[in-house]
Amino acid sequence: MGDREKLESLMKSTPARIGVGRAGVRPLTHTMLQFRKDHAAAVDAVYGEVDESILRQLGLFTVETCYGNKETYLKRPDLGRIITDEGMEVIRERCVKQPQIQIVVSDGLSADAITANILDVYPALLDSLRVHDLNPGTSFYVKGGRVACMDHIGEVLQPDALVLLIGERPGLVTARSMSAYMCYKPRKGTIESDRNVISNIHPGGTPPLEAAAHIGTMLRGMLERQTSGTNFY
Amino acid sequence: MDELSFTSVGIDIGTSTTKLIVSRLRLGRVSGAFHLPRYEITERELRYASPIYSTPLLSRDEIDMDEVARILRQEYDLIGLSLSEVKSGAVIITGETATKTNARRVVHYLAERSGDFVVAAAGADLEGLLAGKGSGAEQRSRETPGVVANVDIGGGTANVAYFREGRAIGTVTFHVGGRLIRLDEQGCVISVSPHVQGWLPERGLSLTAGRKTTTEQLEAIASAMCGDMLAYLAGEAVDPSFCHLIAGSPPAGPLPEIDELMISGGISTLMANPEVPDTMAAIARYGDIGPLLASFLRRQADKWPFRIVTSSQTVRATVIGAGMQSVEISGSTVHIDPSVLPLRNLPVLHLEYTGMPVEDWSRTADDAMLEAARYALPGAEAPCAIALGGEVIHSYAALQRVARTLLDTYAAHFSGASIMVVVCDHDMAKALGQALSIRCGKRLSIVCIDQIRVERGDYIDIGEPLPGYLVPVVIKTLAFS
Repeated sequence: MGDREKLESLMKSTPARIGVGRAGVRPLTHTMLQFRKDHAAAVDAVYGEVDESILRQLGLFTVETCYGNKETYLKRPDLGRIITDEGMEVIRERCVKQPQIQIVVSDGLSADAITANILDVYPALLDSLRVHDLNPGTSFYVKGGRVACMDHIGEVLQPDALVLLIGERPGLVTARSMSAYMCYKPRKGTIESDRNVISNIHPGGTPPLEAAAHIGTMLRGMLERQTSGTNFY
Repeated sequence: MDELSFTSVGIDIGTSTTKLIVSRLRLGRVSGAFHLPRYEITERELRYASPIYSTPLLSRDEIDMDEVARILRQEYDLIGLSLSEVKSGAVIITGETATKTNARRVVHYLAERSGDFVVAAAGADLEGLLAGKGSGAEQRSRETPGVVANVDIGGGTANVAYFREGRAIGTVTFHVGGRLIRLDEQGCVISVSPHVQGWLPERGLSLTAGRKTTTEQLEAIASAMCGDMLAYLAGEAVDPSFCHLIAGSPPAGPLPEIDELMISGGISTLMANPEVPDTMAAIARYGDIGPLLASFLRRQADKWPFRIVTSSQTVRATVIGAGMQSVEISGSTVHIDPSVLPLRNLPVLHLEYTGMPVEDWSRTADDAMLEAARYALPGAEAPCAIALGGEVIHSYAALQRVARTLLDTYAAHFSGASIMVVVCDHDMAKALGQALSIRCGKRLSIVCIDQIRVERGDYIDIGEPLPGYLVPVVIKTLAFS
């Protein structure tokens, strides 16, 4: 294999910016612009909002965490873990209590991740639950959520298991990557190692439909073995 | 399940010899904890290789099935292997043995009695490929630039498989082998295979069964056989008579240019012996011209533009390929109804998904099913396996359209089927399988798997799920585009 072929095979193996060339000690203009564009997309993803029409289409109502605004959200992760009192009121009013499976969607650090993936992942997830004989409760959307908002919601709704579809911290490869966090009986005091996650869900990473299809299998396993997290593996 | 291993056997019933190997294949999770599970065969270990038995024959045209079965039973007992332990493997019938009248029956009979999921295999292309994998040529092609070809020369045929970067890119088979001319120690010709009989006079050579021959006569034949074969492989001009020694129809296009030629099979074992067999007793010590062929191959090795190396797995290359390399595993995110497995010998129907309008794609699917219905197994519960290639499907709506189209066209062409088997090129089997399953209700059992590449003309066997919900798969006969 020649050097050119070797480089090409390395470039094919990673989305990282390798083999992009240089001008003196600096990147080429094209490379530089691409980098700035990707960085801007990442920033936009954090500050963006999920399109209302998408949430309406999926029949999700919205509650907020105590994050207040994006600046505070970034500085105070703890506030993103607590649903506002008004939000909790709505949840109590509208949601089925003690469901087998509670589905929650949240923007997290990338609203774009939800906008890009949720219309495909959500219905595929419902199918997956159906195939695995699992009954979902009343799904909703959390604005300004952090992963551990699962615990607050779990405390109030007491689901057997909860799955949170949440936008990931955007990177320079993609700003539209989503995670699915799953937990058996999330409650106040649940710790991080009690959760499982399928990460990097986007068309260039973990295939969104396949991820959705697998969530049902994982949740079914959690219910059968009555555990999740590091014990679940 | 982070690690798991299972037993796989290989059984090769060749023109002159029969052998068995037992191997242990280890599966390991290769994906991180935050990703969808993905397993691969991470280790293939040879645990046992049987002695080399003479292939028992009832007559010139018939294999002694009971005797083969007895040998295998004896070997299983000897190493304390029970049938239920054997989770995969292949029985392959090779060389001239494949043309025996009861070959088909024997290979299926043995496959069903050798373990839980041991497949029946035959065909010169597959034989060459398995030998090329078992000999190490496939692996060698990953490590070295260019094309590595393996030629496995046994009693009846020389099977050539070409590999580049670990991928099989072609096969060709010759009627070149030791047993094609059988002799007694006095130099009396016992038999000459029909292909060689056709070739000899055109090549200006002669040999008559029942008559005495000379060492000179045999040397001229062996030299021409080896020389012509190597010249053909080197892409050089070759005597037109050589077409008699090409099995099946000659390859349509030019064969790939070889950088390295690996030799395996019974003849390669004999090549290790530097002595030139110059007396009739030395030539005919195995009752055929094997030692002479080996000697000429060795002497002519440096005349060609490619390097010639002998395989470390000489006589057992094919059986090792059958036992250790024939099985693949599916992805772990698949949708299967385990009650219908294993499924054997499903012809593959090829279907490409493109982003074209749904009506057009439904016509494409319909055409493919129509074509498949011609060669599918009539009235079978699972008449074929649908290989779904083309674009990856990321949209839920498209997934639903594909599921609907597949179910509709399948029902139209295979009304008697109760099982639908789909093999996806891309990682989407679980999603598609669930969509199919929900749509068809209880009408069909769905087996939808991925991470398996099948080509037009292949046959596929799917085994029972291993823990972790993946299935072992064996793909048989390959067509090269």
